[in-house]
Amino acid sequence: MNRREVIKNVALMLGGAFSAPTLMAMDNWESSTKPNTNGAAFNLTSTQQKIVAEIAELIIPKTDTVGAKDVGVPAFIEMMLKDCYKAPEHQSFMEGLASMEKVKFLELNTDERRGVLKLLEQETKKITSKTTPFWRLVKELTLLGYFTSEAGLKASFEYVQIPGKLELIKLKPNQKAYAY
Amino acid sequence: MNLNIKSKKNNTFDAIVVGSGMSGGFAAKELTERGLKVLMIERGHEIKHIEGYDTAMKQPWEIEHRGKTSNISAEERWANSRFWGLGSEEVVNHLTNDKKNPYIEKRAFDWIRAYHTGGKSMHWGRQSYRWGKHDFEANAKEGIGIDWPIRYEDLEPWYTHVEKFVGISGQKEGLEVLPDGHFLPAMPLFAPEAHFKNKMMERFNRPVTVGRVANLTQPQDIHTSLGRASCQYRNKCQRGCPYGGYYSSLSGSIPAAMRTNRLSILHDSIVAEIIYDEQKKRASGVKIINQNTMQTEEYFAKIIFLNAGSINTAALMLNSKSNRFQNGFGNDSDQVGRNLMDHQLGSGATASIEGFEDDYVYGQRPNAMYIPRFRNWGNDKQTAYLRGFGYQGGASREGWSRGVGADGFGADFKQGLTKPGAWTISIGGFGEILPDPNNRIYLDPEKKDQWGIPMIVTDAAFVENDWAMRKDIIASAVEMLETAGFKNVTPYDRPTHMGLGIHDMGTARMGRDPKTSVLNAFNQVHNCKNVFVTDGAAMTSASCVNPSITYMALTARAADYAVKALKKKDL
Ligand SMILES: Cc1cc2nc3c(=O)[nH]c(=O)nc-3n(C[C@H](O)[C@H](O)[C@H](O)COP(=O)(O)OP(=O)(O)OC[C@H]3O[C@@H](n4cnc5c(N)ncnc54)[C@H](O)[C@@H]3O)c2cc1C
Ligand code: SF4
Repeated sequence: MNRREVIKNVALMLGGAFSAPTLMAMDNWESSTKPNTNGAAFNLTSTQQKIVAEIAELIIPKTDTVGAKDVGVPAFIEMMLKDCYKAPEHQSFMEGLASMEKVKFLELNTDERRGVLKLLEQETKKITSKTTPFWRLVKELTLLGYFTSEAGLKASFEYVQIPGKLELIKLKPNQKAYAY
Repeated sequence: MNLNIKSKKNNTFDAIVVGSGMSGGFAAKELTERGLKVLMIERGHEIKHIEGYDTAMKQPWEIEHRGKTSNISAEERWANSRFWGLGSEEVVNHLTNDKKNPYIEKRAFDWIRAYHTGGKSMHWGRQSYRWGKHDFEANAKEGIGIDWPIRYEDLEPWYTHVEKFVGISGQKEGLEVLPDGHFLPAMPLFAPEAHFKNKMMERFNRPVTVGRVANLTQPQDIHTSLGRASCQYRNKCQRGCPYGGYYSSLSGSIPAAMRTNRLSILHDSIVAEIIYDEQKKRASGVKIINQNTMQTEEYFAKIIFLNAGSINTAALMLNSKSNRFQNGFGNDSDQVGRNLMDHQLGSGATASIEGFEDDYVYGQRPNAMYIPRFRNWGNDKQTAYLRGFGYQGGASREGWSRGVGADGFGADFKQGLTKPGAWTISIGGFGEILPDPNNRIYLDPEKKDQWGIPMIVTDAAFVENDWAMRKDIIASAVEMLETAGFKNVTPYDRPTHMGLGIHDMGTARMGRDPKTSVLNAFNQVHNCKNVFVTDGAAMTSASCVNPSITYMALTARAADYAVKALKKKDL
């Protein structure tokens, strides 16, 4: 499957019609391109880093508050993968990135990129392997990195470092969650 | 005076306490307050109350891996990181480096350790429940293990004594299964929990209460005089609390002992052996090895309290061989190291809750909801297993992490996660494990640790009774959550081993008969009365409630007895 076909799929999907072949499956056809990942040697190329950054920013974009890139989420994701995950997740992450490279993710416009991620999200649900799939890894680490960063946390929640009391309260309309 | 005699004099105290954790701290407090000069010996490094809590005030973004266990932590703390959250940088460096302090798992055992001032009392969950009368009687009634040499009434005044000092927040319920104690004001149940409580009473006649927890909701003079202040509801207790809002040896018993000016503490000193005086038929002291310099030294006292934590206490006894005790100190019965118990943990159910959208909470409750034992209690009779379990758990509103499993990304998704999510609930069982002589620890005959002390081997596992109970823990959790009207009720059953309950106990049990037990009714080693064991090792059965206040009550009672006996020259 070439890039045009993937984009065709994405386009179909955006139009509401889901089609069969998946980014993931596509990747499996070409095991020759399987990245070699053994534990410690987890490193991203600059293209891969850019892809991670763009995906993170699509998950948590800059709006009237800071976005994923503003608070350093891309570097956080790479650090976390290196420090807290092992070979199976590294492999799964690299496979995901390989398929993103294959669809030339960085050359797509924003709508197309969103389309790819939506497809990815749906296809991820079909994966039964015990290893956390690429989409779940980027998504989880993006949210973790963003909502626990100083600027992301303070922009999103009402940060209370020392509550001083415990009180049952009624939620006011539009009230933000507390973070501690 | 010759040098030897001089150093012997400097190294002589009225009492030696081995270990500075939950029970050792209490022993030191009780003994010093009764006038004894005490040496407390701790194998780990010193942690100072408040200034030693290096992560306590860290903000979320200052925790490098944001609560996840790094590969390095997982490797160094290979046992400790098996417990939820203990691999996080919030606490991980205050737990024992398992790689440097390995033990041998003949059968896997999740041994959670904290070798430093205060021991595990710095990190405990603070849930504090008295045992009931039935807990002391069950062994005899059912013909399990051996009978306790004491009854609830023996411990009752000591529970009150401990509760007053520790400061326990709780709700009086008037239940026989879970006796009331001396409580500070209770924390509230959250709205869905209150709903759950009503439903359980209505449908099953099962009481539910808010957790009884060693956090100061309203400090009394006995607490403030030690510099302890009201809990600030941060729920970061495991990191150590700069306010002294929760009880630990660091915030409570050690400062209390210190202010008598009769306590000395030795850190970095591993008690390797108890020295037995064959002539006097008494233990005369202990031999220590400095964990950093390898230097050995001997210390002497009239009485010795062993509070190294049940497994280490048993190991120390087994490693203390003499002419009289060739099988290990006080081990004529061959019960030292055996009957290792714990509470089974890691199974229960979760659910989502519809409604209560307006209900929210300010502050973080360092506590949970408690469902006392209802199995094999009253009219309930289970055929598949003996004893019972209690549940701990509670309801909370989902945070941003609900976004991980949910569909979506982008601006609206981001905005949505800034609001509190739906309520969810989770309850998990703490199940009683029966004493079984085949569940044990022993010393490896050949392998030694880096200090030349024989390595500890764990050889214990759940048996049929535990598995049958576990099935019911899960089934009953599902039934209760469904009955409350909650949605998506999902059972969970985490693969675990013994040890994960962090309530290891039983390895030098109390009993009436020296042939079948190690300690008498006052925690004295049957055949060497000036040695007392008052940590979890003393337990003859396990109950299903968290054990620490029982260890402290036993300790206080034994200390009182020991000092009286010393005064009467009985020791
Ligand atoms: C995460 C967590 C949650 C918990 N939650 C609860 C709860 O909610 N309720 C409850 O009741 N209990 C709870 N516990 C258990 C509680 O912490 C223990 O029951 C209690 O600390 C045991 O007291 P101890 O004195 O026997 O041992 P410890 O507190 O572990 O102290 C033993 C001390 O002895 C030292 N030592 C060991 N060997 C030697 C030696 N050879 N020489 C010198 N010193 C030695 C150790 O370094 C340590 O400081 C929890 C524990 C943890 C870790
Ligand atoms: S919840 Fe209370 S006791 Fe625990 S750390 Fe916070 S202030 Fe201290």
